[in-house]
Amino acid sequence: MAAGDAAALAKLYDRHAAAVLGLLLRMLRNRGEAEEVLQEAWLQAWRQAAGFRAERSTARGWVAMIARSRALDRLRSVRAARRREDDAVREGWLGGEESQPMAHRELEERERRSLVDGALAALPAEQRQCLELAFFDGLSHSQIAERLGAPLGTVKSRILMGMGKLRTALAPYRG
Amino acid sequence: MSDSHTPCGFRELLPGYALGALEPEELDRLEGHLAAECPECAAELDELRRDLEVLVAAAPPVAPSPLVRRRLLAQVARERRDRALPRWLPLAAAVAALLLTGLGWMWLQRDAEARRLRGERDRLASRLAQTEGRLAAAEAQRAALARQLAIVAAPGGRQFALAGLGPATGAAGRTFVDPATGRAVFFASGLPRLAGDRTYQLWVIPAGAAPVPAGVFAVDAGGGAVVQVETVPDAAAIEAWAVTIEPSGGVPQPTGEMVLHG
Repeated sequence: MAAGDAAALAKLYDRHAAAVLGLLLRMLRNRGEAEEVLQEAWLQAWRQAAGFRAERSTARGWVAMIARSRALDRLRSVRAARRREDDAVREGWLGGEESQPMAHRELEERERRSLVDGALAALPAEQRQCLELAFFDGLSHSQIAERLGAPLGTVKSRILMGMGKLRTALAPYRG
Repeated sequence: MSDSHTPCGFRELLPGYALGALEPEELDRLEGHLAAECPECAAELDELRRDLEVLVAAAPPVAPSPLVRRRLLAQVARERRDRALPRWLPLAAAVAALLLTGLGWMWLQRDAEARRLRGERDRLASRLAQTEGRLAAAEAQRAALARQLAIVAAPGGRQFALAGLGPATGAAGRTFVDPATGRAVFFASGLPRLAGDRTYQLWVIPAGAAPVPAGVFAVDAGGGAVVQVETVPDAAAIEAWAVTIEPSGGVPQPTGEMVLHG
């Protein structure tokens, strides 16, 4: 894709766009906006393809982080008069028609997702909660503290410990 | 800086940073630290980013509408087209570059030429100054010789021959006097060089009167000297000329040894 090959872009898109959109929907909770950011993110990825380091990330992770970054910008922009806050405590994942992953990757994808779900589920509830608020809702430490009515220091240490546990749990499966 | 056993103090801020959850002041502080390229933090940040990429899978995938794909590829095609240069541009660029280098080359040449000419000019100026100096000296010498010649060849001029005496028996002298102008010129030869505190002094000896000082002189390497006397009192009444050895600077009346007389 770095060579400016549009066919390569199309291939990557077909493979990973659904995963990225899933993340965006979870963050933005709005289909239209999520798809806008999706398009922007892929365009940015295509422009910055030369900056991708295969030893540092997976292609999916790399595009997803670009998308997350742009989604964070939207979440935090002043224009977001729209209320995005859900309930104080997240109940479950946001619904939406789950796409059918490509047949030959189906097992791999499901397996991976269940591993991550399992790792998250294994975290103490308060750590998972803080991580989710930070990762999916893009809240800052103090915003999380405010949302949960917890001290700032507690939030910080929960995130620290949560990330640590996650790393241990996922270490065998990291890309 | 931390040693290998104490983790870098900024380590705690890294998960928040990777998540984008830091407050502005914390963010500033950490970015300042990261700009200093702490290797520990850079490595940890890499790890954290990979952790987060895995977390992406926690959200179930959702198929995007086909419109997104179509719009994306259309945009990409548009950008690729804009990026491609028109065919003639490389050629124009090459010509422009050639022109510029041509002009640049000429400029450099001119500059080098100017410098060379300035150097040449400076050398010539200094040569000219030297030549003028020598010319002035030659002119002065010519003028002096002309004056001497005038005295020597003066009609009605008087001539005196001086013989060596005492420590300078091998020396000789001749004086020419021009009564019309009152000028005289004295030539000496074979006189020995003197010690630093001594000098030769020339005397005019008028008839029946005390010697009159006519100038001090030193001899050249060959033992010769020329003395021009501007005003000789009463040239017609001169009886003789003499040269004595005196203290440096001369004396009003002869005190030292006489070496020439005539």
